[in-house]
Amino acid sequence: MSDRRLRAAILALSLVGAGIAGYLTYAHFADVQLVCATGGCETVQHSRWSKLGGVPVAAIGLAGYVVLAATAASATDLARALGAAAAVGGFTFAAFLIWVQGAEIHAWCQWCLGSDAVLALIAVAAVARAWRAAPPGGASSRRAPRRPGSGRARLAAPARPRR
Amino acid sequence: MSRRVLIGTIAGAVVLAGALAAALTLATGSKKPSSAVGAAAVAQMFHGIPQQGPILGRADAPVTLVEFADPQCPYCGEWAKVALPVIVSRYVRTGKVRIVFNGLTFVGSDSEKALRAALAAGRQHRFWNVIELLYENQGTENTGWVSDSFLHRIGSSIPGLDVKRMLSESSLGSVTSQIGQAAALANQAGVDATPTFAVGKTGGTLQVVQLRSFKASGIEPSLDAALAS
Repeated sequence: MSDRRLRAAILALSLVGAGIAGYLTYAHFADVQLVCATGGCETVQHSRWSKLGGVPVAAIGLAGYVVLAATAASATDLARALGAAAAVGGFTFAAFLIWVQGAEIHAWCQWCLGSDAVLALIAVAAVARAWRAAPPGGASSRRAPRRPGSGRARLAAPARPRR
Repeated sequence: MSRRVLIGTIAGAVVLAGALAAALTLATGSKKPSSAVGAAAVAQMFHGIPQQGPILGRADAPVTLVEFADPQCPYCGEWAKVALPVIVSRYVRTGKVRIVFNGLTFVGSDSEKALRAALAAGRQHRFWNVIELLYENQGTENTGWVSDSFLHRIGSSIPGLDVKRMLSESSLGSVTSQIGQAAALANQAGVDATPTFAVGKTGGTLQVVQLRSFKASGIEPSLDAALAS
């Protein structure tokens, strides 16, 4: 898949994730009942695990999706690396929250699990995107112009055709 | 950017996520050795809500929810941890419902010791903080888990509670009478399991509720019906 398609996929998935996180954030502040098929959404959302430093975890997730969308909108090496790091780091935290739902809260929130699935897909796409663009080893993908006469330049120079 | 740098960046993000998870764990109070599990969340849950003895919520709330529960009963603990935070947030804090706790001690001696401490804390308008923290830190039935040091740790985790006073007042005759009154009420209502709930208009006749689950959704329809009647 081309970089352009991966960027489009990450952007689209980030918008889906932002929609889920936005809904959970809205429900938190407006104190409205969540649409929930698993029956545990309210329990999870009102648990003591639902906030970090007074900030709803859903709002942190929303901010995360905005960052991921921003990295997908840019075609630079930095954006690719930041996107991969943010997606993998975000999914690591999401995996911890999945464990919390099962082991600590004993309830499952379908919206949270849906968001986790979206984040997993973004992580795969973002790592693939960054990995393909990064050259193996320590060299930079955007090499500085070599000075004529340097050892590396001589090694890289095409051999002269023999007469 | 090389793959080596990329791997390093991703590893850094994973470490950062782990630190965030650790911060969340600490924020919930789970790893604080000096304070009871859930202390911060429990303090936040009841902050600003009026308490009068074992009654939580505004006196003029249109609907009353009566709970019969034993501090050692595991299902009571599950309800307290799973459903109560939602009910408090949605119904009690908004002034719609008040909750009256009738403590029972049928499980054993640890039940009575725990309940006495909670009722004594009720004299300082902290009954619900104590009973909720007891559920959050519930031990195995009748193993002596409700020790003086345990109660001291629970009490010390509650802002504004005079722990020495709570412990000394737990043997008061008025506390004994409260326990006796709750037991008599349970007999009268035919309570044969805990937790048992009854709902109705404040000052009116209450109806015993058959819980659909130990989640908030198990009792919310009954509360909504009482509010609508």
